[in-house]
Amino acid sequence: MGDSVASLARRERTIQGQTFRGQTSEVDFALIGHQESWRAASDVLSVLRGPERTPLPDDEIKDILPWIPPRAVCHVEVGSIVGAKVRGLYIDSFIPPNRLEAGYVHENIARVRAAAACAIQAGAKIVSLGGFSSILIEGDFDQLPERHDTVFTTGNTLTVGYIVEGIKKMCALEGRDLRRSTLLIVGATGDVGSGCARCLAPLVKRVLLSARNVERLRRLAAELQADRVQVEIATDLQENDLLEDNRQRFSSEADVVICAASLASPSLLLGRIAPEAIVCDAGYPKNLSPNAEMPGAKIFFGGLGQITGGLRFTPDFHGILNRHPFPDVVHGCLLEGMALALEGRFEPFSQGRGFITPQRVEEMETIAARHGIYLAPLYNGDGPVEDCYARCVAPSLPLRSLGQGLRSCGTDTPVRRF
Amino acid sequence: MESLIGLNCSTIECTSLSPTAPIWQDVLAQAITGELLAAMNYTSLSEICDDPEEIADALEHAAIERGHAARFATEGRKIGVDVSNNVDAKHWKRLREAFLRCVTERDFIGCLIVQEIMLESFAVASYARVGKVAPGSLGKTFASIAAEEEEHVDHAMAILRAERALDAQRFDDKVYRLHLDVMTTLATMLAKECKDGHCEVCAGNCVKPSLREVSLSAAELRGASLQQYLKTLDMLGIPGEVTLVWVTQLPV
Repeated sequence: MGDSVASLARRERTIQGQTFRGQTSEVDFALIGHQESWRAASDVLSVLRGPERTPLPDDEIKDILPWIPPRAVCHVEVGSIVGAKVRGLYIDSFIPPNRLEAGYVHENIARVRAAAACAIQAGAKIVSLGGFSSILIEGDFDQLPERHDTVFTTGNTLTVGYIVEGIKKMCALEGRDLRRSTLLIVGATGDVGSGCARCLAPLVKRVLLSARNVERLRRLAAELQADRVQVEIATDLQENDLLEDNRQRFSSEADVVICAASLASPSLLLGRIAPEAIVCDAGYPKNLSPNAEMPGAKIFFGGLGQITGGLRFTPDFHGILNRHPFPDVVHGCLLEGMALALEGRFEPFSQGRGFITPQRVEEMETIAARHGIYLAPLYNGDGPVEDCYARCVAPSLPLRSLGQGLRSCGTDTPVRRF
Repeated sequence: MESLIGLNCSTIECTSLSPTAPIWQDVLAQAITGELLAAMNYTSLSEICDDPEEIADALEHAAIERGHAARFATEGRKIGVDVSNNVDAKHWKRLREAFLRCVTERDFIGCLIVQEIMLESFAVASYARVGKVAPGSLGKTFASIAAEEEEHVDHAMAILRAERALDAQRFDDKVYRLHLDVMTTLATMLAKECKDGHCEVCAGNCVKPSLREVSLSAAELRGASLQQYLKTLDMLGIPGEVTLVWVTQLPV
């Protein structure tokens, strides 16, 4: 049998140490994510199986995926417009798309922990937590395994930045004055929702905050009211619960809406909002139900950024891991880790819940922009949003008439495909 | 189905036959066949060991696996069924042949990879699942043997990790070559339906559609086995993104 087990084990320890040190220099960042739909999961498995094999039937995918332990799926290389280049890994927690509900929370936390362990073992210097990966542990990073030299960021600061930028851009395209707007934030007490509230509250006429936890709502409302912002709160958009001042419902309809709730599936029905409201669906997974009735609403998917310095997946997962109608578009939460890696700032920029401020958002967006990472072109389930304005509106028209242009494109019908 | 290898077990008084006994009979038949195959593999392994202590180790392992088979047979008698086995059944025969090719090449590491990483992953995971749902002592026996098999894996891991440390690329190539041979057969065996005819182990019709009646499913046993396999490969240090591709390319 050759060498004894003991002598072989000694050799292994030595060489493994060298291997580990070798790996640490190769992985600057790691991105932890999960697939939002069975279709997306199916596409990932198809790439892994290769084009010469028939794709797995849907029933087999639903049987197989829940058993896959969290692990790296591909290598990622990101370039900066100033020439820097960083390497990382995309690690999928393989949380099945139908198991995001609260009933699976312990199983899903275990998956995020295992994915985090993969990132630590790979020697990643910074790790971004995408979608539910951050929601599950944003309030308590102690749930992560022992971290050695790896730092974790939820990535929520850059997500907030791109949501806010998207709202401003959409208002400009629609010729709306944000200062006259009533802003509704669904999922307002979450890290992303509260960050959006802090950034946008000073810029709008009134803020309506909706979330499930009334105590957290009251605390956030008090914080905003201290800065003389008009705030109302509610825990249920459909029922418009009685919460304050004997009001049965929000006193006014929102004309700008941010959906940032932690929903397991696209199931949100907004209820009463202003006709032609601007609606940003910033969920990962998406919030808005395909059955949402929002006549004339101008919907876009928020919190997305675009890399202009180059993005490469090995194997090639372009358009599979980032399923967007524009190249190199990625969720802001994942981009934050890449931007910090390009900057050489390996620090836990976003941690905990409720610490995102306009100043931190500005700082994060500045870092990202320095490396060519900007707000992504706006789109929704029907496709690009801005193309329609460009096609329908002559460049010389004043901004205020852009809304008219959109309607004439036939895009004022409710968007129902997500 | 005729037993190819007899098991010397004490007589146990039969209790009344439960409606699920025929299902457990087939589950036990697969388990006993796997254990006997493992015993044969360890005996063959002993023939290529040089160190007397390691020859003894391999033969001891063979005896342990035979003991497991006997315990499963005893559990069958307790529920009133006579459990057969067939190490020459088509899938099991292919698995044995894959192991024997390593023996012929005096490839000790290859033998460990096939038996300890691939076949034991399947055994540990599927026994553990059966252990959770099988009633009474049948469940306890499956759970207890699953735990014992897991110890086998731990024993081999140190040797295999050390071997990989010498030349990771060569080691990973070897694992992949054996994976294509052995895991393709195991995946076919574990498919939700036996598409290419009777497995030659089940007493009557294929047991897979009936597993639901005992809170099991073929998909669950396959999923748990492949998960265990991936985790074992992780412990060896083979990159997760590599092994993920291997497993997703297996037949379903």
